[in-house]
Amino acid sequence: MSLTDTAPQARRRDLRIPLAAILVVAALAAPFIGTRYVTHSLIIALIFMLPAHGLNLLVGYTGLLSLAQAAFFGIGAYTAGLLAVHYDTPFYVNLLAAGLVSGLLALPLGIPALRLRATSFVMCTLGFVIIGQAIAKNWISVTRGDMGLSGIPKPYFELGPLSFTVTGTTSFYYLALAVAALGTLAAWAIVRSPAGRNMVAIRENETLAESLGVPTWRYKLIVFMISAAFAGVGGSLYAHYLTVVSPLTFQMYYSTTMLIIVLGGGAGMISGTVFGSLLFVGLTEALRVAPEVRMIAYGFCLLVLVFWFKKGFAPLINRFWNAIGGSK
Amino acid sequence: MNAHLPILEIKNLSKSYGAVKAVNDVSMHINRGEIAGLIGPNGSGKSTFFDCSTGLARPDTGKVVLDGQDITGWSLNRIAREGRMLRSFQKTVTFKALDVEENLIIAGQMFTFPTLASTFGLGKLSRSRIAALRERARELIKMAGLWDVRHQPAGNLSGGQQKLIQFASMLMPEPKLILLDEPMAGINPKIIERVVDTIQYANKSLGVSFLVIEHNIDVVTSICQRVVVLDQGAKLVEGLPHDIIQDQRVREAYLGG
Repeated sequence: MSLTDTAPQARRRDLRIPLAAILVVAALAAPFIGTRYVTHSLIIALIFMLPAHGLNLLVGYTGLLSLAQAAFFGIGAYTAGLLAVHYDTPFYVNLLAAGLVSGLLALPLGIPALRLRATSFVMCTLGFVIIGQAIAKNWISVTRGDMGLSGIPKPYFELGPLSFTVTGTTSFYYLALAVAALGTLAAWAIVRSPAGRNMVAIRENETLAESLGVPTWRYKLIVFMISAAFAGVGGSLYAHYLTVVSPLTFQMYYSTTMLIIVLGGGAGMISGTVFGSLLFVGLTEALRVAPEVRMIAYGFCLLVLVFWFKKGFAPLINRFWNAIGGSK
Repeated sequence: MNAHLPILEIKNLSKSYGAVKAVNDVSMHINRGEIAGLIGPNGSGKSTFFDCSTGLARPDTGKVVLDGQDITGWSLNRIAREGRMLRSFQKTVTFKALDVEENLIIAGQMFTFPTLASTFGLGKLSRSRIAALRERARELIKMAGLWDVRHQPAGNLSGGQQKLIQFASMLMPEPKLILLDEPMAGINPKIIERVVDTIQYANKSLGVSFLVIEHNIDVVTSICQRVVVLDQGAKLVEGLPHDIIQDQRVREAYLGG
C-alpha cells in the first residue's frame, strides 16, 4: 500500500456512533413519521422480535432447531390474557407471569424432547404447537374454546400512587419498543456471557464440548427454557395489543415466521434477529395494503434469501457496520 | 489423596455390543506421573476401552477408580470437570468456526466457574475470570507454536495444527490425567515432534499423567514408560516398551495370528 492509499483512510471518521444515533432517533420518531398503519406493522415486528430472540438463542447459538416457539408464544398470550381478564393485574405482572409460565412449562416439555436427535426433536417441537392449539380449543371452561378470550384490557401500570393505561397505537408502540429493547439487551447479555460461549461450543461440536466438562444436557434444557420465556413475554404483548387471544395463536405459521426471522436475519447474531423481525414481519404486515401481491412479495423475499444470502442478511449488516467504522 | 496409589485404576472392565465382546475383563492402572501406552491391532478394543473409562460409553461390568474415587457411571462431562481426567478423540476435533484463543477459553471455562448459573454472569468477577483464562490460553498457544494463527478460525488450520489446538485445550484445566486416542494419526513428522515435545513438557513440568493409544511404535517406545497390549478385547501382555516389541505374542497378534 502506498502512502496515498493510507493517508485519506487515516482521516476517515467512525460513522457508527452517528448512525446508531440516527437509528435510535428514527425508532423513537417512527410513529410520527409513518402512517398509523406503519406504526401497527412496527408493533407486530417488535412483538415477534421477542420469540425470535429466544429462538435465535436456541437455533443460532446452541444449534437446536425448534418449531415450538408458537406454542410458548400462545401459552404466554393466554397466561397474560387470563390474568388480565380475571384478576385485572397490571401489565408488568402479566408480562412477567407469561414469561415465567412459558419458561417453566418448557422444563417438562424439554426433558423428553431434548433426548431426541435432530429431526425427531424438530417433529416433537412441532407437536407442542398442535397440542397447545388442541388444549386451547377444548379446555373450554378456562380458554372459552374457539371463541377465544376477548376483552383483554389495554396494558395498565400501577407504580405507587401513579397509574396509567397505554391506550393509543402510538403509546403501545413505545411500550413494545421498550420491551423489545430490553429483550434484545437480555439476549445480548446471554450470548456475551461465558454461558453464551458454551452454547456456541455445543452448536459446533457437542461431544467435544462434553469432553471439556461442559454439561451440555443441562445447558440445552436451560436455553430451551430461556427461549420459551422470551416467547411467553412476546405472547403477553400480543394479547394486550390485540385484546383477543384465540386458539389460532398456536399456529405453525407463527413458528415458521419466527424461524424465517432468525435464519433470514442471520442465525447466531443478535443484530440479525432485530433486522429480520423488522424485515419479515414488518414487510408482510405492511404489504397487507396490497393483498394480491402480498404473499408473492413475501415468497420473492424468501427466494432472494435462499439463493443469494444463504447465511441471512447479518453478514451483510456486519460488513456494512465495519465498513463505516472508520480506520483504527 | 494417597501419593503412591495409581492415578487411575480400571478393574475387570467388560463391554459387549450384541454378541461381540469388544472389551473382555480388562484391568489396568496408570501410575502417578507416568506416560503409559495402550497398543493393539485394529479392532482389539482400545477405543471401546477408552470410551468406557472416560464416560462416553457405559461399561457392562467393571470399575473405574480415579485418584481414589469411584467414577464408574459418571458422564463424560462430569469426569472431565470433577475428575480432571480429559480425553482426545481419534478424529481430530476442534470448534471449527471459533478462533484458536476461543477454543482454549471454552476448554477452561467449566473449571473456572464454580456453578452453571455463574457462567451466565457478565459482571466484574466473570470478566476477570475470563481474562485469567485468556492469559493462560495465550501461554499455551505460545507453547504449542500457534501464536501467529491465534485469531484464525480453527477450521482454517491444518490437521496437525488442529491436533495441537486440541492438545493445548486439554491442558487448559490443569488436568491430572489425559487419555490420548491416536494423537499422531495422520499428521506430518514435523508436527509429530512437536506433539511429542508438548506431551513430555506437560508430563514433566505440569505433572500430568498420560495414557496414549498409538500405532506409531517409535513414538510409543520413545515416550511411554510402560505399555499394555490389547488383542481381541482382552489384555495380552504388559511391560516395558522394549520388551513388548520383542514379544512373540505381540508380533503374532499384529501379523494376524
